[in-house]
Amino acid sequence: MFNFALILLTGLFAIQNLNAVLTKLRFIEIADDLNANFLEMRISEKNYFLYGNAGTLLEIKDKIKTAESSIENAKNDIVRAVGAGSLSRLRSYLKDYSEMVDMVIEFPSRDMRTEAMLRTAGKTLREFSETTTRLERERMNTIIARSKEVMRYAFWGVLVMAILVSHFISQKILSSLRSIEKMTTTISQGDFRKIEESRSKDEFGSLINAINVMSEELSHREEEIIQSRKLASLGILTAGVAHELTNPLNNISMMAQNFTEYYDSLGREDRIGLMTKVERETERIQEIVKDLLDFSKPKEANLQEADINSVIARTMKLVQNMLDISNITTKLGLDEGLPGIYLDEHQIQQVLVNLITNAVQAMSLGGMLFIGTRPGRRGDSIEITVKDSGRGIPPEFLPHIFDPFFSTKGDGGTGLGLSVSYGIIKNHRGDIRVESKPGVGTTFTIELPVNNN
Amino acid sequence: MDRYRVMIIDDEKIVGDMAKMSLEREGYLVETFLNGEPALARLKEERFDVVVTDLKMKGVDGMEVLRTVKELYPDTKVIMITAFANLDTAIEALRGDVHDFFPKPVKIRELKVSIERALGSR
Repeated sequence: MFNFALILLTGLFAIQNLNAVLTKLRFIEIADDLNANFLEMRISEKNYFLYGNAGTLLEIKDKIKTAESSIENAKNDIVRAVGAGSLSRLRSYLKDYSEMVDMVIEFPSRDMRTEAMLRTAGKTLREFSETTTRLERERMNTIIARSKEVMRYAFWGVLVMAILVSHFISQKILSSLRSIEKMTTTISQGDFRKIEESRSKDEFGSLINAINVMSEELSHREEEIIQSRKLASLGILTAGVAHELTNPLNNISMMAQNFTEYYDSLGREDRIGLMTKVERETERIQEIVKDLLDFSKPKEANLQEADINSVIARTMKLVQNMLDISNITTKLGLDEGLPGIYLDEHQIQQVLVNLITNAVQAMSLGGMLFIGTRPGRRGDSIEITVKDSGRGIPPEFLPHIFDPFFSTKGDGGTGLGLSVSYGIIKNHRGDIRVESKPGVGTTFTIELPVNNN
Repeated sequence: MDRYRVMIIDDEKIVGDMAKMSLEREGYLVETFLNGEPALARLKEERFDVVVTDLKMKGVDGMEVLRTVKELYPDTKVIMITAFANLDTAIEALRGDVHDFFPKPVKIRELKVSIERALGSR
């Protein structure tokens, strides 16, 4: 746009200069004719003084007439080139000269004074004419040189502008691409809300529209994926249940077999010991069934506005005894002034107890447990952190720790705690994440939205 | 006459206890282990005639026990038990030169017969 204006301006300037040059050229042409004319006059004048031929004076008169008429004809061109002042001066010098010639014709006395006056008039006329012509020629050269310079500057100007403009255009494209990249990042993180409504009707606008359509499609797909994952975890669940139940059942079976087989040879203590163990194994089965029920039918969350710090404080009372006997130091870092959130206190307590129990079991030699709250990264959420200095989780296990029946505790766990916790947090429309380093510790982070009712 | 030595490896303590209770009454010398590592260490010290092992264990599992036993004592018989009874694991176990394969719940009488047959067939 700017370049176009610059080129147009340069063009106009060039046309104007060209016109000026043409005017000057025309003047110089006329002036050259006049100069030749004046030269001839002076030659005739010299001849007259040399040979005293009166006819030469008449020749001069003739030439003066010719000059007068050509000045009259080219009057406009002359005015345009050198101005009215120069024209009238030229005319007056010519008139002076003409009058001097007339005087010489009338009084051909040939005295020295008249002669000198005629010569001076002729000289003045010719010098004025020649000077004017020379000046105009110089002016014309200046105009041409200036034109050349302007053209050169214009060329560089256009070039620089072109480079700058193309730079700005590419910058604009890059920044648009960057903002779209940022928008798509949120999609890749699983946030399928529509990205910014397209403001522009250019290619970027349609690109954003296309991304929005894709995002919507992905959102539908994600629901399908969640469904299929539920089915998959049902499969894991079934296999897990089978395995978890088979072990205590086998134990009961083997004890029953020996009880029957060796009833007579067993002492009273042995019989009671076996039956006590049978009882304990049935409790184990009962525990699995209870967890299973929690898992398969997550109780409807009964959401009520609560202060998360108070919920944590009440939970700590439940676990304090366990922490005390496990030689664990507890540190709380609860942010004051967090907004109230809607939650099912019983369920959130269940999650916290699960995480704390895991932490305690990971720190069998004692250690440090940190529980903290703070505003979430999303702005409309709060974060709860449960961090231990325990043995950590090997990286290869991390992707599975929320899977049902996945346990790293051997006999100690059913592998349902974290998977139940995961379900509860998801029910609260929240998020639960884990970071762990073997030998350093594990950090669970729960993110709960502030407006989730 | 020397008594036969039987090793039982299962992370469920009751399995070892019950198998031992029954097998000792038959005159076997029985040692039980809750996981693979100490069992393998013990095997390196001394030869056992029969090793009964759970297939699925944390750390050293049944298949690894089987491989080590066959390396150390090709004559020793290995009997596999598992709570996770599916055909694939059974086939895998049997391919690996397993004498017998018991899904849980284990019938102790059948286990005893299997051990007797394992010793007789040597």
